[in-house]
Amino acid sequence: MRAVTRSAPFHLLEWHVLRYHNLVEALEASPGDRPFLTFWVNEDDQETVTFGEFRHRARRQARVLREHGVQAGDRVIIIMPPAIAAMAVFAGAMMLGALPAFLAYPNDRVEPSKYRSGLAGVTANLKAKLVVIDEAFPDELLGHVSLGNETGLLRVQDGRGAAGDEELPRLNVATESVAFIQHSAGTTGLQKGVALTHAAVLRQLEHLSRTLQIDGVIDRIYSWLPLYHDMGLIACFMLPMVYHLPVVMQSPLDWVMYPETMLQVITEHRCTLGWLPNFAFQFVPRRTRPSRRTQYDLSSLRALVNCSEPVRSSSMQEFYDAFAPIGLKRGVLQSSYAMAENVFAVTQSDLSQKASPAFVCADGREFRSAHRVVPVEEGCPGSISFASSGRLLPNHQLRIVSDAGTTLDSGHVGEILIKSDCLFDGYYNRPDLTAKAIVDGWYHTGDLGFCLNDELYVVGRKKDLIIVGGENIYPQDVEDIVATNPAIHDGRVVAMGRYNPDLGTEEIVVVAEVECEENLTNAEEIEREVRGRIAAGLGVTAGMIFLKPPKWIVKSTAGKAARSTTLEKLRREHPELDIESQETA
Amino acid sequence: MTAEEKQMIDYVLKRIRKPNLTIDENTSLVLSGLVDSMALGDLLLTLEDLTHKRIPPGAVKPKDLDTVAKMFATAARVGKPQK
Repeated sequence: MRAVTRSAPFHLLEWHVLRYHNLVEALEASPGDRPFLTFWVNEDDQETVTFGEFRHRARRQARVLREHGVQAGDRVIIIMPPAIAAMAVFAGAMMLGALPAFLAYPNDRVEPSKYRSGLAGVTANLKAKLVVIDEAFPDELLGHVSLGNETGLLRVQDGRGAAGDEELPRLNVATESVAFIQHSAGTTGLQKGVALTHAAVLRQLEHLSRTLQIDGVIDRIYSWLPLYHDMGLIACFMLPMVYHLPVVMQSPLDWVMYPETMLQVITEHRCTLGWLPNFAFQFVPRRTRPSRRTQYDLSSLRALVNCSEPVRSSSMQEFYDAFAPIGLKRGVLQSSYAMAENVFAVTQSDLSQKASPAFVCADGREFRSAHRVVPVEEGCPGSISFASSGRLLPNHQLRIVSDAGTTLDSGHVGEILIKSDCLFDGYYNRPDLTAKAIVDGWYHTGDLGFCLNDELYVVGRKKDLIIVGGENIYPQDVEDIVATNPAIHDGRVVAMGRYNPDLGTEEIVVVAEVECEENLTNAEEIEREVRGRIAAGLGVTAGMIFLKPPKWIVKSTAGKAARSTTLEKLRREHPELDIESQETA
Repeated sequence: MTAEEKQMIDYVLKRIRKPNLTIDENTSLVLSGLVDSMALGDLLLTLEDLTHKRIPPGAVKPKDLDTVAKMFATAARVGKPQK
């Protein structure tokens, strides 16, 4: 039994930020005149607040919260656009010793009844004292906000005001007390709130800053990330707040409408660090005109970290090819494996190598049948490639285990288990879920991966895995193959497993949107072609293939295909299937 | 309907890819879900091409692009000369 470990005796590490007892102390220690947050709207409209001004706004919000009865230990839900005002409310709640939690801000198309049930579920689980919304919160949704008797609703202003500190009593927040609660996405009532202590967050930030070689003088973070997500909250709010770094941020909506502005912000503010999900590495180059790229300069960047989705070398290569001519250096594109349950990062690729993350080409048949990685030459027929998510952060341990719980050797695929000094305490108010997730101190991530040369490669979610006659089939591989058919809409394919009692094993079920509805008249031929590609690429035969018109597949709030909701929809439309997929296992 | 609005309708139809769909300048596109948020950037780039104006970031919300008529009204309201 082997576990991959990266640890050092605690006394050997200089715990820079651990001189703080809590996150508020770190904010209080910041230099007042240093720029902290710049909210970028366009070149003529941007607002910068210094650490001193931010503290002032946070104190004002703390006073408002206190006037509404918020005390230490109370939960405060914040539903505001990701901007300075929301961050000030968050910090203000922490100043009172309350536990803030960001939830996603509703978009224009949210269905009121769904929003109501989602919000009611989260507030009930948190037993929130207050739900804080902004002045622009849609009136039509306000009537649908259903809160329990114990929960109040507060509209706040942006916190700007005359200078002068609002006096707050010094609060002794214990290091091991919960600092805030993270939710993964959206406002579905079934979300799990991840409770994180001040100590866990401070330790994570210490590890992260060392691994990223944070430089307090030159580093400046770029972000368009939502604050309810760990990338936005930890990497782009807590890290700079504690290490006193400037951040330049824009709204996620502005980014998705004007992806080119990411290049503009980085150029104007000489940003050095950023985090992006994998899809953004394709989205930005495909939506910026090559003729306009030359006015930008990405040479200030020293790390742009691919995080929160399985890392794809092809996506990073596309980004690099598009922007190398405007100064993007090869070693800038890096990778990480992160999750809210560990505050944020578990692994990080090695920035000192000045190279892209490690990459391995593996024999596809061996990978699927024996669940292990046998490296082959790049481009070898039937091979599949994986990009590394990097090495463990200090004081982290990792095990790859089989379904039977046996620890697997290097190169073998299994579930990723982690243990660290910044692991979460549990899901808030959900001891049942916590007990399932943390066993003997090991957090069961539900992700599948393998280790090779001390690098972690993440291959997908365990619950999504399709097992056909003992061969492990990763839905992403099926989806990628299906999407290569020009009649299929790229990114609008979902593959899943269905137990076929006649075969005694699972079979692959594919749901794919066609590019245009006219293609459906040619469905038989498309299906035949797709089957051929799957068989040729993976060596297995697909079971059922459903071709659907455009817009059929349900998407998540992040714009990706929502696997489980799409499966539910498929069940509703095809009850005769009686699908027993991995989703329900 | 102007020639530019007609061109925008043609572009939207091409993007939506529904063969029997007909839309006019007042058809709801964004709020109705016909156009998804990931396509908003493409709509803005096309609008800039057709109006020869630059639509500054932050000046436009998705609902401002809900119909073809609203797109051109928005461009007239917030558009700036292209550099």
